[in-house]
Amino acid sequence: MRRPRLVVGSILMTLALLAPGTEAAKKLRVVATIPDLKSLTEAVGGDLVEVDALTRGTQNFHEAEVRPSMMLKLRRADALIENGVELDAWADVAVLGANNPNIVRGAAGRIEISRGISLLEVPSTRVDRSMGDVHPLGNPHFSLDPGLAPIITQNIVDGLARLSPDDRAVLESNRRAFLERLDREMARWNKIMEPVRGAKVIAYHPDVIYFLTRFGLVQVGTLEDRPGIPPSPQHLVQIIRLIKAEGVKVILVEPWNDLKLAERVAAEAGAKAFVFASAVGAVKGADNYISAIEFNVTALAQALK
Amino acid sequence: MRARALVVLVCFVGLLAPPATAQEAEALKKEIEQLRKQLESVTERLRRLEAQPAPVTPPPAPSPTGPPAMAPPPPGVSLAELARPRQPFSLYAQRGAGQLLFDIGVTGDFVGNLTQSNVEKAQGGTFAGQENRFFPREVELSLFGQIDPYAYAEVRIEAGEDQRGADTGVSLAEASVTLLTLPYGTQAKFGQVRNRFGYSNVIHEHDLPWIDRPNVLRNFLGAEGLKEKGVEVTIVPDLPFYLEGLAGVFNGDNETAFGHSTLRVPLFTGRLRTFLELGDENAVQLGMSVASGETTEKQRDTLLGWEGRYKYRPEGWLHPLLTVTGEAIYSLRRVLVEVDTDGDGLTDLIRKRERDRFGWYAGAEVQPFRRWAAGVRYDWSEFPATPGKERSVEPYITFWPSEFLRFRLAYKNTDRTHRETPDLNDGSAKRVDEILFQGTFILGAHPAHPF
Repeated sequence: MRRPRLVVGSILMTLALLAPGTEAAKKLRVVATIPDLKSLTEAVGGDLVEVDALTRGTQNFHEAEVRPSMMLKLRRADALIENGVELDAWADVAVLGANNPNIVRGAAGRIEISRGISLLEVPSTRVDRSMGDVHPLGNPHFSLDPGLAPIITQNIVDGLARLSPDDRAVLESNRRAFLERLDREMARWNKIMEPVRGAKVIAYHPDVIYFLTRFGLVQVGTLEDRPGIPPSPQHLVQIIRLIKAEGVKVILVEPWNDLKLAERVAAEAGAKAFVFASAVGAVKGADNYISAIEFNVTALAQALK
Repeated sequence: MRARALVVLVCFVGLLAPPATAQEAEALKKEIEQLRKQLESVTERLRRLEAQPAPVTPPPAPSPTGPPAMAPPPPGVSLAELARPRQPFSLYAQRGAGQLLFDIGVTGDFVGNLTQSNVEKAQGGTFAGQENRFFPREVELSLFGQIDPYAYAEVRIEAGEDQRGADTGVSLAEASVTLLTLPYGTQAKFGQVRNRFGYSNVIHEHDLPWIDRPNVLRNFLGAEGLKEKGVEVTIVPDLPFYLEGLAGVFNGDNETAFGHSTLRVPLFTGRLRTFLELGDENAVQLGMSVASGETTEKQRDTLLGWEGRYKYRPEGWLHPLLTVTGEAIYSLRRVLVEVDTDGDGLTDLIRKRERDRFGWYAGAEVQPFRRWAAGVRYDWSEFPATPGKERSVEPYITFWPSEFLRFRLAYKNTDRTHRETPDLNDGSAKRVDEILFQGTFILGAHPAHPF
């Protein structure tokens, strides 16, 4: 008689031990294509989500290689959060290899965060590849513009609430708390950037225009000849002339681009080149959305003094 | 009359005005000069701004909090409509009018080769029958996209010059539908496909990491590789590591390896593929494949394949520094052999024989710069049904002016004990030296390349 009780007791204890696991299993498994969206989803989702990213901040998101490890992450995902506007079009190939109906195009778990964003650099003339790797829908690098965080996070909340309607209130509350914090930081960042407002900068790749416009800085040129096309010597000569003529002090370089080349141009023209946080995790200390913007604001304000 | 009065008035005012000193005149001159410079600067700036193709629209005011700062909806779409949970077909509505519901791409692959005249005569080059020629090997029109929420389709139509000077033929390279929403981590694909047998068989000519398909694949699966009509099902089980299993049933139309071409005795295929990431910089993909069907002689042919691909990509690099690829195929083939038992030169009986043949290749590529890569591939292969073997060494160099345009140049040295079809050249073309060149372009959409 004692033995069955022992068995039942053991089973109950085992179930009790497994309970936290069951709780963990309730979390939505979310995969974001880029780390900026991972960070924003973590801020909005809080304890309700487990978030992973398909790429790292040090990568060029245009040319991410589709690895089976991406498919493994996507295989178990309840939701895939993508930037859209052709930045992460490679996600389609990864999804195709993941055999997960939750995240195929048109499924509730496919969340595109570009909805409602007023895109910059939308070509107003006919475009073709002679203009480089142009994006006919507009510049897709908007995720690190803090002014667009309300729209992005709203899209994330809407997407996650589709999967888990009961959690909408918590998601909204998390979003509000995050945006309030971001608002406070924004006031501080605006103050830091005030003295350098109107300053001119050069970017290596045109992926910082939203951030610059937000803080009143002007991008007068790019080191790339055309988007995605490495600079020719003639283009570099023109850029050096432009830097001198416009009094540009800073060249912003992505961690995946050629810093040495940018430094040579900067040295020739009397400017300074440095690696900025082109994404969350792109540089040390830019581990989340707010710290990435903090890094860029501080570094730019310092360099433009 | 009015003009004359105005002139008189100006003269009168001029006479009344006190005479300007020389200092004031100098200051005025300086001011004018300064204004002229400012005007030139503004004109120059205006000229530059006008030369920019895409005007930049300023984003909304920097207010992170507050009401959700939604941009104005597209014309004809209300905010309530936007807020509604997304329906399957609304995906494309956001892209605006005139947007196609699928992607279109064109790729062009032109190759050429130079070799010895005896090789040309014997048609013993890499592109048999096209020696010492430059020709369009594959110009491909790709159409791909989602059919509905449940399926994805891909159609590839290709044109190429198959024979010397012949008209360019157009054919269906691939047309398949993939069912995406099946349960238990499964997907099904049906239609005409390039079979997922090994690493390189599934890759189209223009996407190959070399100019030519490796010898072992051409010997065991034909010049175009294994391309079949049928169904394949994949499963990716929910495991802590990546494992993809595949099983397929096809007609068996490939005449080099099979050729029975009937579903009564179909071609069965299978594959297991796994992937290991050794840190952020190193990654390995390993796989094993099988294909078993009947030949035109109604004899069983089973191919076993092994594949491996390793990439080393230093942190922050846009491309791998080192890529190593290798594949091997073991063929277990039953053939019918005519036997002359009494030596009178006539066939007395036909016996079944087992032909076990093997072939492999291994290649390494180094890409120290974004636009340049160099590599070498070594091939060793027996022939599946006839005696003899061949080996090749092929160093090559690749240059990408952009990601949409690529040029390759290679030297290939081949050494054979026999030709696969020795009667064609009386044993000639056993030693072949070739210069191969390739120009490839991509126009429009092209899906991302997997690992």
